[in-house]
Amino acid sequence: MKSLRNLTLLIAASLLCLTAACRRDDDSSRVFLAEVRSVDKLVLAQMTISKMATIDDLRLEDADGLKQAVEALGDAVKIGSRKGAYSYDTYMQAYIDMSAFSENDVDIDRESRTISMTLPPVQTELAGRDPGIREDHYRVTGLRSDIDSKERAEIKEKMNTALRAEIDRNPAFRDRLMEQARAKARAYFQSLGEAEGYTVTVDFKN
Amino acid sequence: MKTIRLIILLLVVAAVAGVVVWWKSSPEADRVTMRDAKAIDIRPMVRLCSVEIYEDYPVKASIGTRHFFARETLRGSISFDLDSIARDSRDDTLVVTLPREIVEIHESTEPDSYEVIDTWNDRFLGSDKFTAAEENEIKRKAVANYRRRIYAKGYVKRARAEARQNLQALLAATTGHPVIVIDPTPAGALP
Repeated sequence: MKSLRNLTLLIAASLLCLTAACRRDDDSSRVFLAEVRSVDKLVLAQMTISKMATIDDLRLEDADGLKQAVEALGDAVKIGSRKGAYSYDTYMQAYIDMSAFSENDVDIDRESRTISMTLPPVQTELAGRDPGIREDHYRVTGLRSDIDSKERAEIKEKMNTALRAEIDRNPAFRDRLMEQARAKARAYFQSLGEAEGYTVTVDFKN
Repeated sequence: MKTIRLIILLLVVAAVAGVVVWWKSSPEADRVTMRDAKAIDIRPMVRLCSVEIYEDYPVKASIGTRHFFARETLRGSISFDLDSIARDSRDDTLVVTLPREIVEIHESTEPDSYEVIDTWNDRFLGSDKFTAAEENEIKRKAVANYRRRIYAKGYVKRARAEARQNLQALLAATTGHPVIVIDPTPAGALP
């Protein structure tokens, strides 16, 4: 009898640990913020990056581990389909911080009518994303629950995390944008000088 | 008999512990599949940006008896298109007119920039669901309200004043001429 009680206690303790392990972290310390800041940026190029994600039931053959297998079994017995595809655009911009630029970075030779300037380095940043989300596909049938606002917000958050990691991993996004930005800066300052009858050479600091 | 009970007890405990470890070590179930990101467009430009704004903005709306409340971190920027700037020369002085401001408002890409806090229906057992199209329209109106707020709070006025100074310094340094920047609408013009 005592062993049975011990066994019950042990199983209950194990289940309690399991429940604790599954519990999501709840961030209740979030605060509303507002920040207005002065900048002196020369934005030279903007890239539109599209990200797409799909939502679908887990398949047992694709399940990896116990949790996924349990979820896949659960999905298999539900009546109906639950599929959706969502996308949105994010904007990355290349800019020069002009607060790091001064008259000392420009050499004007009035005799030879030439201007040499060394601009601050081109930098990139994410300038934001579309507030809305495109629903490219939606098919919820049978007794399945709708994909609601909270779930869409969670999908968008996951897409954002994945996109940021992808941009960090793949320098091609930044390289292409910076190349265009340098070309635009050269063209702009050359046209500015040409209007005054000067030949302009533009370099960039490292 | 006692030994057998102890062995059974140990086996059960080991089995439960095994399941717990297996559960904890297995990856989370995720029904979302990511596709690779695609760069669909690169737009060259020359824009002088003088003010950036980050703000947590409440998104509240009602459609019939359904209600929606969310929090969105918005990133606004106020910039000026230098490609379309009007230039004139008076003697040795370059005179330029500050163009109309471009107020861009996006959702921030910082983590947790959009959170749906609550949706509900006044009717008993009524649906509290909003479609993607309804939610997009709610957010579009929130962004339009936020744009008006940017003007009302004087951020555009501040951006124009700072852009005037920055543009004057930039053109003076790169052309070697004295520069006068004229601002025909110091408070900006809400479209």
